Amino acid sequence: MSAILQTQKLRVEYRSRELRQPVKVALQGLDLEVRAGEVFGFLGPNGAGKTTTMNVLLGFIPPTSGTASLFGIDVRQPIARQRIGYLPELTYYYKFLTAEELLRFYAKIFGLPRAEADSRIEKLLKLVELEAAAKRPIKSYSKGMQQRIGIAQSLINNPDLLILDEPTSGLDPLGRMKVREIIQRLKNEGKTVFFSSHELGEVETICDRVAIVHQGELKAVGTVAEISTGHENLEKAFLRIVGFQSATTP
Amino acid sequence: MKLSPLLALVALLALAFTLATGLASRADRWSRRDQSGNLFGMLFGDGRKLFANQFFTMADVYFHSGYYPSVFDQKSAAEKEIISASHGKKETEDDEKNEDFLGKPKDWIDAFGRHFRITQHTHLENHTEREILPWLRLAADLDPQKIETFTVGAFFLREHLNRPDQAEAFLREGLRNNPANCEILFELGRIYHESNHDRARARNVWELGVKKFLALTPEQMKDDKLIFEELVVNLAHLEEEAGNYGPAINWLHAAQTVSPNPAGLQTQIDDLQKKLTAQVPVVPAKLY
Amino acid sequence: MNKIFALAGVVIKELYRRKDFYVLFVLTALLTLAAAAMNFFHDDKIVRYVKDICLLLIWVSALLVAIVTTARQIPAEREARTIFPLLAKPVSRGQVIAGKFLGCWLATGVALFVFYFFFAIITGSREQIWPLMVYLQALWMQWAMLAVVIAMVLLGSIYFAAPSSTITICFIVVAGILGLGTHLHTVALQQPEPMQTVLTLVYYLMPHLEWYDLRDFVVYDMGLVSWPAFVLATLYAAVWTGIFLLLAWFGFRRKNLTT
Repeated sequence: MSAILQTQKLRVEYRSRELRQPVKVALQGLDLEVRAGEVFGFLGPNGAGKTTTMNVLLGFIPPTSGTASLFGIDVRQPIARQRIGYLPELTYYYKFLTAEELLRFYAKIFGLPRAEADSRIEKLLKLVELEAAAKRPIKSYSKGMQQRIGIAQSLINNPDLLILDEPTSGLDPLGRMKVREIIQRLKNEGKTVFFSSHELGEVETICDRVAIVHQGELKAVGTVAEISTGHENLEKAFLRIVGFQSATTP
Repeated sequence: MKLSPLLALVALLALAFTLATGLASRADRWSRRDQSGNLFGMLFGDGRKLFANQFFTMADVYFHSGYYPSVFDQKSAAEKEIISASHGKKETEDDEKNEDFLGKPKDWIDAFGRHFRITQHTHLENHTEREILPWLRLAADLDPQKIETFTVGAFFLREHLNRPDQAEAFLREGLRNNPANCEILFELGRIYHESNHDRARARNVWELGVKKFLALTPEQMKDDKLIFEELVVNLAHLEEEAGNYGPAINWLHAAQTVSPNPAGLQTQIDDLQKKLTAQVPVVPAKLY
Repeated sequence: MNKIFALAGVVIKELYRRKDFYVLFVLTALLTLAAAAMNFFHDDKIVRYVKDICLLLIWVSALLVAIVTTARQIPAEREARTIFPLLAKPVSRGQVIAGKFLGCWLATGVALFVFYFFFAIITGSREQIWPLMVYLQALWMQWAMLAVVIAMVLLGSIYFAAPSSTITICFIVVAGILGLGTHLHTVALQQPEPMQTVLTLVYYLMPHLEWYDLRDFVVYDMGLVSWPAFVLATLYAAVWTGIFLLLAWFGFRRKNLTT
């Protein structure tokens, strides 16, 4: 299976503006590969480098060294993002636009013809249950509605790769179920999903493979079963891999 | 005991009202601004004079259709005035030269920039002079003690726009704010003489102007010598038109005391003397 | 280009959904009508002062709309984090800069057109003449100048974190150029060294926005500016706009947006 998403010796350093402050290394030579059609979980404690990796993949920050590519195209080329959808952890969209206008705007960015855009917008608004609110400005939406419009905009171009940054963060159980259903549906359609999450229970349920990063380094990668070998569950394996020492366990 | 917010509000309002009624009579003495009796005076205080000067300059800018030196062109106040035009004199070549402040372009940027600036020296004419009136009106409202505003405004209303009634009304407004000002009286006399052809009224007003001038202190007289000369010379011409050569000669003698060109006036006196001797002799009245 | 127009469309929607433009237009209209209602010596044919006041208000309002709208674009996107879903799409940072510029410029152009339309109605009702070519020339020149200003503000917004800093600095620069631009060389020649050299350099290197102020031509009925000069001025504005946009792109393309 070909690699849809690939990083090779990816290194990212943050230099402080203040003099004599040490350089912070966010990623240390990360080698990562996500294959077509799989649901890939990207795990790690806070500050492990998950968001930095996503920022590099999405072109928000340049790597210090190493390479990252999507569909074989260097991530620094805008065309690399033609076939991806992105759902950020915190959903902020243009408050003065309506849901329909927002989706139409992104459809134009992707170069979708008008008729196709109209058809997709209708289907997506139905999928995320925002048809009734489609003509209201986003500033009048609740947090849940904003999350749903986020999901809709990430799917506007019928992406082959979906990058989700903690997609169920802040959602109620119904919302989380909805997101899981969407991920499953995409998997059934042969799409690739790459997402980060702290909900290890969810990751265990839906992911084909996971990677665990800690302090900028890749600590483990494989199927859930492979990583959980010798442990009760993925959570226990995760805690051991990141070197968590329980205060209560001797 | 907790004080109810509503009760506190009522108490504060009552206190404010009491203080206001008590302080109102004292507050009048603190500020001169509200005693000015004029909206602009109340709004701007003494700063209104700055605005008045600026609006008077705007009238000049409008008269020259935007061709006007800026503060950076360092024209002195005397060189950029419309008074010379207001006294009925045509601009001489020197006037034209003095007002050509642009000169040659300093560089290619200046040269190109002149395509987007007014570079032609023109004057408003054919009743377009009306466009300067709003600025003169505002200048007069802001600073009623600025005599120039009234005299210039009246000149343009009378001479260029053929509205002697409005010119007279404007000058009378100036006279109310500047009682018995010689310049305003002179311009008023010009209206009666040149527009209304009312020699008697013109004589009365000009003679009043002369009387007011003679009542000035020597220091004040020094500043107004030009206007005194204008008054007495015009009185002389008026008397000459009426055939009263004796009084005309007397006026010209008075003019000689202040004129920078007494020899020129002497020529006129000699001419009048010849006319007088050709007439039936009349005992000239002492007019001053 | 479709992406750039799509980005521009969002900027235009933002402008007409915010209240700024309507407030400025109503203020301009009220002040102009108040000025026009004044009676000076019972002469209802006096019109130049109305033109002067109205055009001054139009200039101030258009500059306000242009500078305030543009200064907010990039910082507001970063602060609201809407920049991330946008850049996650196949759009380059250069296209974002171009789209923001085009949106601000077109939006300002629409505002200018409305202002000048109002101006033409008011003055035409007094003068009974409509020198449309003169008005169009003045509108175009002002719009060309605003292109330079918008590009400059966009550049400023990349480097200054707060929109208020960008707005203040750009207003001062623009007001300085409009007021002093013509005379800076004269002032420079009167200064001792090294100030003379510094001011002379500034004079030659700065964009001469004062060329685009054709209010005097409109107010004093001076007719049209010569067409070759008009075309050259347009080209000059295009060059300066390009310079500022390129600099903005250089600054934006390597900027770390996550900090």
